[in-house]
Amino acid sequence: MGIIRKGRAMKKKQIPNIAGVVVLAALLLFPLVYGAADYDYMMHIMITAFFYAILAASWSMLSGYAGQFSFGHMGFMAIGAYTTGLLCHYIYLSPEPTGLCAEARVFGQWLVVVNPIGVTSTTLTQDCLRQAMEAWGGSVEVTRMPVPLGILLGTLMGALAGFLVGMLVLRLRAAYLALFTLGFSEILKATISAEIDITRGQAGLELPPLYPEGVTWFGTYFEPTDKLPPYYTMLALLLVCLGILAWLAHSRFGLFVRALREDPDAAAALGVNTTRYKVLVFTITCAMAAAAGAVQGHYVQIITPNMLFLLQMSLVVAMAVIGGIENFVAAAIGAILLQVMLELLRNSFVIGGIEVDMTIWRLVFFGLLLMVTLRFFRNGLIAPIIAYFGRAGVAEETVAKRASTVTGPHGGPHRTEAPD
Amino acid sequence: MIHLKVTNLHKQFGGLHVLKGVNFEVNGPELIGLIGPNGAGKTTMTNILDGAIKPTSGTVYLGEERIDQLPPFEVARAGLGRTFQVTRSFRRMTVLENLYVPALAMGHAHGKARLRETAMEVLEFLTIDHLRNEYAQALSGGQQKLLELGRLLMLNPDVIILDEPFAGVHPKLMEVIYAYIRRVNDDGKAIILISHQMDSIFSLSDRLLVLNFGDLIADGPPEDVKNDPAVIEAYLGAEEEETA
Repeated sequence: MGIIRKGRAMKKKQIPNIAGVVVLAALLLFPLVYGAADYDYMMHIMITAFFYAILAASWSMLSGYAGQFSFGHMGFMAIGAYTTGLLCHYIYLSPEPTGLCAEARVFGQWLVVVNPIGVTSTTLTQDCLRQAMEAWGGSVEVTRMPVPLGILLGTLMGALAGFLVGMLVLRLRAAYLALFTLGFSEILKATISAEIDITRGQAGLELPPLYPEGVTWFGTYFEPTDKLPPYYTMLALLLVCLGILAWLAHSRFGLFVRALREDPDAAAALGVNTTRYKVLVFTITCAMAAAAGAVQGHYVQIITPNMLFLLQMSLVVAMAVIGGIENFVAAAIGAILLQVMLELLRNSFVIGGIEVDMTIWRLVFFGLLLMVTLRFFRNGLIAPIIAYFGRAGVAEETVAKRASTVTGPHGGPHRTEAPD
Repeated sequence: MIHLKVTNLHKQFGGLHVLKGVNFEVNGPELIGLIGPNGAGKTTMTNILDGAIKPTSGTVYLGEERIDQLPPFEVARAGLGRTFQVTRSFRRMTVLENLYVPALAMGHAHGKARLRETAMEVLEFLTIDHLRNEYAQALSGGQQKLLELGRLLMLNPDVIILDEPFAGVHPKLMEVIYAYIRRVNDDGKAIILISHQMDSIFSLSDRLLVLNFGDLIADGPPEDVKNDPAVIEAYLGAEEEETA
């Protein structure tokens, strides 16, 4: 009987893995097999869903696993987006010095920093590089910062910011930590809004597309505006992030950050360097948020401080909570499902002659779903399903073990039950 | 050879002088009881010894290493482990995961299989091996006390401070804790046992320390301490007060 039970439990445990492979295959094939007229719209929804999935999964590691309830995750996302945006906007490589811009010679080329002149930066007479190019008359070709390098630097900047914030919040817990990180995000938003000369403020900073020259994959050329390359790029980033999170969660890192969440003092008393792991978890998850922001920035090609609205952060938190805050896969699934659902529910309909405007009502349903989840499903809607299969056989095993009364090694009680 | 040396330890919280120049040494695998009325400074001293709070003045050496300025994780790595007065298990982690934390933090783990084997030995000894895959929050208060003791076995320190290990524990479980204390002591560890249960502490300890309002008023064999007038006064009050 025991062997049969074990076999069943093993089979049950495999179900989430099998489901994961099926979902992954479906996501990989989706852009290739979907042929409806709203192809671009659907691809856009999915790309945005993957973007939110990265944010929700990384936030789940930070808040659900490590217990560091941060409200600044969108701030780190914006750091990634603005870093690559500003670098691509202002940094150029030129074989000749302009004589007008700030510039330095690097590896035989001139690194040119275009003068920040805010919302009028496209005005030829004020842009030092354009003035120089006019003077050259097309004889000199300048290149802007490569997009992948911008994304990489944006990710590193997010990691650095995460490291610094992690160091600053070492002694903060719960509401104090949430308020601190919210304050950080608000300061960032105010700074971006105020520094119009550099960031173009609410006018928005334009970014080059993810693949400025287009891209050829398997012999097929895709235009810079095609949705398929960004779809696979964002999906790849999501998979890389989930892979890293899975590796971390199953390593001593995952064990220690969960101990940190449960009781930092007890963890430290057992030899865990809590400072190190708190800073590390901030650094890693903020780098992921920044990478997502950088890629999303190049995909939508314009970024504004509005991405830092508290509502955006609340959306990520809600997605993670509805999926399951203590399971990053569940948080990612929750984000994808909710993003798709929120978009598809935009279609208004008529009941009994009354038109239901779903552009408004969908948010009401979303709020209700969040409230119901918080009230009745503390671990979210997806995480308990994964846990049900993942922990298959545990209860039966405990009962079976308890039943087999074995004398303790010191002649004491057989097995310690719960007399309380 | 284990050698813990506490010298002239003071701790003040604002105007409150909680420890007033405490001195004592632990030499070898002693089993020392630490007693005192509520507010005597026992928990404060424990927190200083494990690095959770820093002393106002004074020093603590474990062997050759000064540990009073180290953070708790370094104190643990130096060889001093503790339990807490109120049990602090990692509630949303399984029993086995609770045991893995100190072993991995200390670098004691030599492969997954060996780690699991060691953890299972500890759980079997503590008679809670059947709960290995349950979350700690599913355990009773007494079982969580045993789990905390198990984590210390995995940490494998030289000096162990047990803060109220018998508090709120069923008599059946107390037998297990007794066996644990004897085994750990026989294995060559020094134990500082803090408890309000006088029967247990007198029967287990080789030596007793008595704290009263921050002063160490007695240090010696249990029989001597029991009859020490200062200790009697601390616990029962002065004769004049009693008659008054």
